[in-house]
Amino acid sequence: MKSCAKKDMGRVLKVWSEDYRVIGPARQTQGDCIFDDFDEATFTMDYGKPSLPPKGSLFPNSEITFTVSEGEYHENTEREKVLLFGIRACDMMGIRQAANFMARGFDDPFYRARCENVLTVVMACKGPQNETCFCTTMRSGPWAEKGFDLQIFDMGDVYLVEAGSERGEMLMIERFFTEATSDDGERLASLKRESAAKVADVPAVRTAMERLAAGDVDDAVWDYFGGKCIVCGGCAFVCPTCTCFTVYDVVRGPREGERVRAWDACLFAGFTREASGHNPRSSQGLRLKRRHGHKLLDYNAADIQEAVSGCVGCGRCSDYCPVHIGTLEVVKAIAAW
Amino acid sequence: MTNTINEFDEADLFFVIGTNTTAQHPLIGSRIINAKERGATLIVVDPREIQLARFADLHLRQNIGTDVAVLNGIMKIIIEEELYDVSFVETRTEGFDDLKKTVARYTPAIVEMISGIPASKLETAARLYAEADGAMIVYAMGITQHTTGTDNVKSCANLAMLTGHVGRPATGVNPLRGQNNVQGACDMGALPNVYSGYQKVIDDAVREKFESAWGVKELDDKVGLTITDMMAAAVTGDVKALYVMGENPMMSDPDSSHIEQALSNLDFFVVQDIFLSETAHLADVVLPAASFAEKSGTYTNSERRVQLARAAVTPPGTARQDWEIICDIATRAGYAMAYASPAEILAEINAVTPSYGGITFDRLSGGYGLQWPCPNEEHPGTPYLHKDKFAKGLGTFLPCDFRPLAEVPDEEYDFLLTTGRIYYHFHTGTMTRRTNLLAREAPGPTFEIHPDDAAKLGIRDGDMAELETRRGKITLNAEVTDRVPRKVVFSTFHFNEAPVNLLTNPVFDPVAKIPEYKGCAVKIRRCS
Repeated sequence: MKSCAKKDMGRVLKVWSEDYRVIGPARQTQGDCIFDDFDEATFTMDYGKPSLPPKGSLFPNSEITFTVSEGEYHENTEREKVLLFGIRACDMMGIRQAANFMARGFDDPFYRARCENVLTVVMACKGPQNETCFCTTMRSGPWAEKGFDLQIFDMGDVYLVEAGSERGEMLMIERFFTEATSDDGERLASLKRESAAKVADVPAVRTAMERLAAGDVDDAVWDYFGGKCIVCGGCAFVCPTCTCFTVYDVVRGPREGERVRAWDACLFAGFTREASGHNPRSSQGLRLKRRHGHKLLDYNAADIQEAVSGCVGCGRCSDYCPVHIGTLEVVKAIAAW
Repeated sequence: MTNTINEFDEADLFFVIGTNTTAQHPLIGSRIINAKERGATLIVVDPREIQLARFADLHLRQNIGTDVAVLNGIMKIIIEEELYDVSFVETRTEGFDDLKKTVARYTPAIVEMISGIPASKLETAARLYAEADGAMIVYAMGITQHTTGTDNVKSCANLAMLTGHVGRPATGVNPLRGQNNVQGACDMGALPNVYSGYQKVIDDAVREKFESAWGVKELDDKVGLTITDMMAAAVTGDVKALYVMGENPMMSDPDSSHIEQALSNLDFFVVQDIFLSETAHLADVVLPAASFAEKSGTYTNSERRVQLARAAVTPPGTARQDWEIICDIATRAGYAMAYASPAEILAEINAVTPSYGGITFDRLSGGYGLQWPCPNEEHPGTPYLHKDKFAKGLGTFLPCDFRPLAEVPDEEYDFLLTTGRIYYHFHTGTMTRRTNLLAREAPGPTFEIHPDDAAKLGIRDGDMAELETRRGKITLNAEVTDRVPRKVVFSTFHFNEAPVNLLTNPVFDPVAKIPEYKGCAVKIRRCS
């Protein structure tokens, strides 16, 4: 554990940018904050829940996997070194779950190449970032247990910084980082207790999980949500653990082309439509049932790490769904039906 | 829109007529769904069982093309039951007696005969709308794409004025634009009769203002041609050259055979687009343009909000921003048009367009857009129009009588064909059909037909069928669904393998010159 003066953090990132493409919180001209390439002028430590999880750095919304030109095949696995600064603990859990899933059974060289070149710096939360945070229920936050290279705690006067890997140790440049004291350890323990206590528990998640596991969910729940879903796929795109993709080819010329993979979502009818036209998930309600089953049942027990399920409790689906079909709304409906 | 999208969250009642908004403006559709869940009332007037109909307190399924009769019928009930806003009518409007006289003929029984809407439902709708505190009329192309499009719009306005549902938050007449900048294009004078901000070309003072701004003499004082007029003039040879930007009339205009004939008859034809569209294939010169993500400038949306967009990527190859292409062409044609940037162009717009006077580049850079009218830099913009008075002073009721579709089904062409868009594709598909996921979701052309009609014709779901009108025929797959009423089929103009505008009727609203895409007579045959 080391400590870093608050005023130095921007300078630390500047040093890191010499070796890495550093992506972190950036204040926009309109006042809102997005995650973008580090720039001293826009860098800020005053930010809440990033609107998107960092999954795009490991799994871009579209990427060329290989190109073919004049009969030559070229696999696209060259990667720049990326440092993700200031991601939240829930997102760290999202990365761990997704990485485990993507590595299971067979090698995905495109994803693996990014994983190997991405460093993570987690910024622990001092409480919920907004009313949809439920990381404590899902055991994914408000600080990360592992997976990160560095984790930062805001102690008010200084940052305490914990290394989670050798790469992380290397990041702590002597000039800016000093050894923490035993006093700091105690202060951190009490900060963690306070932070966790501020994030509300959502018992409906457990009730919903039990009912789903028992097959005890009235189909009327899914009919209700299916009736108002506008099929934008946004819940999947903002989800840290959604990694479904589609694959297609782009012809660039007579002897030239590329294969692309791009984000897909199980909310789209074509995701499960078969060649005959038959669709085993024949209605939007059934597609939502499948999606929430995947998030809340342990279909993916092998991949959930120390969390409770495939949902990490970031609450973004509830933040952004235009018609309020986020996980929070769904579990509450299941629990109350 | 007279009002603002955020006001959807406060309205007490929505009167949704002729818009499948969850498919065409899903985020606006979402607001209506959410409003319904918080307790607002929803009246849907649409022949098809659209997604919003599921949430509607009342779904009136009118026969296609009978909107004026329906709206007149509603107004008659409101006047007869004295549910109208007497003080608004007296202080803010004129022509009430004319309106009263016209709508008096539209008794519920007569309207039921014309529109197929049961009299009792019409009465309920009238009472709900009139008695609501904040009621918003929401419409789109289901109102406008008729030979009676202008009458339909006037009738919506009459209804709002009659009940005082205009000039206040969460009320008004709210046409939902089908494209991100159709409002902006009109605002900038991409119309045959006006300069920017709807300043008339026939007005001497306006013309002098633009002559002095541009340093030219004798700007044309004649009103130009609408698109549909241009096509007719190309056929006769009166129009000899055409320069089309970002439009695909070969797919989007009615009676495509006629459009092909018109375009082929031109001496010189230029198309500026981002892809080689069906129309660009016919051009003598194609100018490659930048796509939305590759250009900077402003868009003006449905709620009159001007928003700044900045290029995210550079245009590929030799593609360039539209304004750069136009400047070069003007310069080579002898007028040195040399703007340095979109900011400089906006500064000129601010100077010559009163309603855009305060919508400056600096203000847009630091915020989330401004709604016109915004006459000066101190003005905050205008969330809703017609607050204390109408632009012209008193609002004039413009009563209209019902006129049927130009082409109604007969013994031979016994079905009604209506056209529109679906959720996954935009217009003629030049962009969305090149987008893998969207193309997967809706890979090819289909038409919707009611199960009873399909059974009579021996058509099963997915079967190929031929649709034929007096203009042409296409073959496509049937989707058997009760989303459409009996004797009506619905299809879209997204797919060039079955271009539905080969079939549509080239008849136009006499004022707006918009074609009657929403209804023509068609016959249907199953393909063996």
